[in-house]
Order: sequence, then structure tokens, then C-alpha cells
Amino acid sequence: MRIDNIIHLIRKEAVLELRNKAILASMLIYVIGASFIVYYAFQGQIEFQVWSAIFWIIILFSATNIIGKTFDKEVRLQYYYLRTIVSPIELILSKLLYNAILIFAFEVIIFLEMLLFFGVEIDNLPLFFLTLFLGGIGFSNLFTLFSTITSRTGNVVLLSVLGFPIILPLLLLILRLTGIAEVDVLSTDTDVNIGAVIVLDLITTVLSLILFPYLWNE
Amino acid sequence: MFEKILYQNWWRWTTIILLLFTCIYGFWVKIPQLPILEESIRNLFFHVPMWFSMMFLMLLSLIFSLVYLANFQPKYDVYAANFAKVGFFMGTLGILTGMVWAKVTWGAWWVFAEVKLNAAAAALLVYSAYFILRSSFNDPESKAKFSAVYSIFAFVMFMVLINVIPRLATSSLHPGNGGNPGFNSYDLDNHLRLVFYPAVFGWIGLGFWLSSQLIRMDFVKRKIDDID
Repeated sequence: MRIDNIIHLIRKEAVLELRNKAILASMLIYVIGASFIVYYAFQGQIEFQVWSAIFWIIILFSATNIIGKTFDKEVRLQYYYLRTIVSPIELILSKLLYNAILIFAFEVIIFLEMLLFFGVEIDNLPLFFLTLFLGGIGFSNLFTLFSTITSRTGNVVLLSVLGFPIILPLLLLILRLTGIAEVDVLSTDTDVNIGAVIVLDLITTVLSLILFPYLWNE
Repeated sequence: MFEKILYQNWWRWTTIILLLFTCIYGFWVKIPQLPILEESIRNLFFHVPMWFSMMFLMLLSLIFSLVYLANFQPKYDVYAANFAKVGFFMGTLGILTGMVWAKVTWGAWWVFAEVKLNAAAAALLVYSAYFILRSSFNDPESKAKFSAVYSIFAFVMFMVLINVIPRLATSSLHPGNGGNPGFNSYDLDNHLRLVFYPAVFGWIGLGFWLSSQLIRMDFVKRKIDDID
């Protein structure tokens, strides 16, 4: 495994993404539209608990859409070419990192909009952003590996079917952390919950690294 | 060696004896008189062992998925799929018996405040996704490979849902969670134990029996289709 290979792969992803701006732009409009619909549906008034639930649901749905195309984009020939120059670990690591960065960026965009529309106050911002960061990694890990599985079937709904139940434990922990971040009280749960999210992230990363080579030898 | 066990009968007889004992003596045994629970405590011999049976079968499914990824022999995929199938069935039975128990003791068929209940339902969803995944492949080899990979994730999340999330929760209605007394302080006296432990092995045996029949049927089908 070589770090500069991973950096090259991530750069390749970013260049491809920027070359075809339609997808990025549509994702952007997607999240803006989603939060705007929520804003109208709730008439601009919302409690924090509902806010955080909807916030994370929007992220979940955008994440399935963003990551769902990870392995579709890879043209078949290019895929065979990549196999000759990089190892599977390098490829999956670059995908995981790139998707995590992308999701984190979208999380921040969605957060800014939901902040603008509903004007919520979050007392413990560092904890909130840590939650965003760790949550983004978890989403990216699970959906990236599953998108390799589902891209072979041609079944578009399958990514949501596989991902949603499996993401549930992570989502529960993240929602709890978001709740803790809103009212900045000394809570003994904070460390336990952060620890649990980190452990889940690590488990999913390790499983992806171990299992991806099997999927790649197709 | 494992394949031989599927065709042996000693554990089938043991299962029959254990389940007969559970179903007859379970309704006969002297139970501790507890408020609210009352006679429904006999559900202990059905509801709890069914979850144990599901965990056992899912563990077997995980092990055979790992074995499949190690040597790519199609028979291990057959094992993994059928153990998961029956494990799912046992989990459904666990939910149904739990719902009856919940109606009697907590007053509703389904309770949101109960973490374990909802986590268990989510675990069943995880495995139903596994079956959908299996049905969306045409090529048996990639079906086996991809579903083996998914089932490893499924098992990890199953364990997180069943064993970790309920422990992190602050409140729960189940005994042993969120400030409720556990089984040991729950007058799980020796009479109940006398039925409970045989019941656990009986239901595990029944799950294994069902899956062994399905596995053998699949082997026969493969012979008819001339795959092996």
C-alpha cells in the first residue's frame, strides 16, 4: 500500500467529479430542495428533536444518492486498467476517504441551510461537528462497500434496502450525540456514545478493507 | 464431518424429548407467584430460547459465510443461506411470542419505549435485506460471494443491535436492562431453571433440525439440476 497512490486516486475522483459538474450540482439542488420542502411542510416552526431527526434523515437520503454512483461511474475498461496499477486496499481506501470528505461537505451545507431556515441554537458546536465528522465516516464506510455489491445487480432500490437497517445503530447513537450537543450539559453518556460511534466506524472500515478484495476479484 | 451430523438422528431424538418436556412440564411446573407476570411467566420457556436459537443459527450462518469466502465451495453458501433462513424464522417467532407477552404485562402489542423490541425488529430487517440481496442475483457464484460479504456485516450489526444498543439505553422494560432487575434476582427459581435450560437446547435443536432439512433439500435439488 502506498500513500501517494491513494492521493492520486482521490485526486482522480475529484477531477472526474469536477469535470462533470452536473452530478454535483444536482446533488446540491437535491439537498436544498429537501430542506426547503421540510421548511414549508413544518411552516418554519420546529422543535429541536424533530429538527435533528429530519436533519439526519436528509443526510441519510443524500448519502445513498451520492455514494450510490461510486462504482457505476467506473467505466468497465477503466476498472480493468486500475486493477493492473493499484491494489484493492488502495482503491477502497481512496473511495472511502473521498466519499467521507464529500459527505462531510454536504453535511455542512445541509446544516447551514437548516440553520438558516429554522434558526436552531447548538451550544456545543465542537461536539456537533465531531458528530457530523464521525457520522459521515460511518455512512461512507457502509454505503461505499454496499454500492460495490448493488452496482452488480442493477437493482436501484437495493442500496437503500441493504443500507437503512444496517445504518440504524449508527443513526441512533448519532441522534443521541446531536441531542447532547444541543444543550451543553455535562452528560456522562457523551464519552460512551462517542466511543461507540468510533468503534462502529473502525469496525466498518476494517471490514471494508478485508472484504473489498473479494468483491474486486470479479 | 459437519455434513455427517446433518444425517444423524441422535440429536433429533434429543430435541423431541427436550421439547416434549418443555411443552408438557412447562405448563405443569410450580411457578413463583409474581404480580402482573402471573401465569405469563411460562412464556420464558418459549420467548427467550427462540432468541437464543436465532443467535445460534445466525452464528452458524456467519461461520459458513466466512468458510465460503475462504475456499469458495458452493455447499457452504447453501449452509449459510439456510441457517439464516431458519434463524429469521426463529426471530419472527421470538417477536410474536414477545408481542403476546407484552400485551399481557405491558398492556400493548408494541411499545416504543422498549429498546430491545425495536432493536430486534431492526435486526430482522437487516436479515430480510440479506434475502432480497440473494434474490437479486442471477449468477449463483456472484450471488454466493456478495451475500457472504453482506452477511458478515449483517451479523456484526445484529450483535450491535441485540447486545450493545440495549445496554447503552437508559431505560428499558425488559428485565436486566435500564434499572430493571435481571433474571437472577427475578425469582428465576430452580423450578423454572429446570425447564428453562432444556427449553434452550430444545429450541436450538429444532432450529438446527429445520435448517438441516432445508439444506438436504437444496442438496437434492442441486443433484437433480446436475450442478454438483
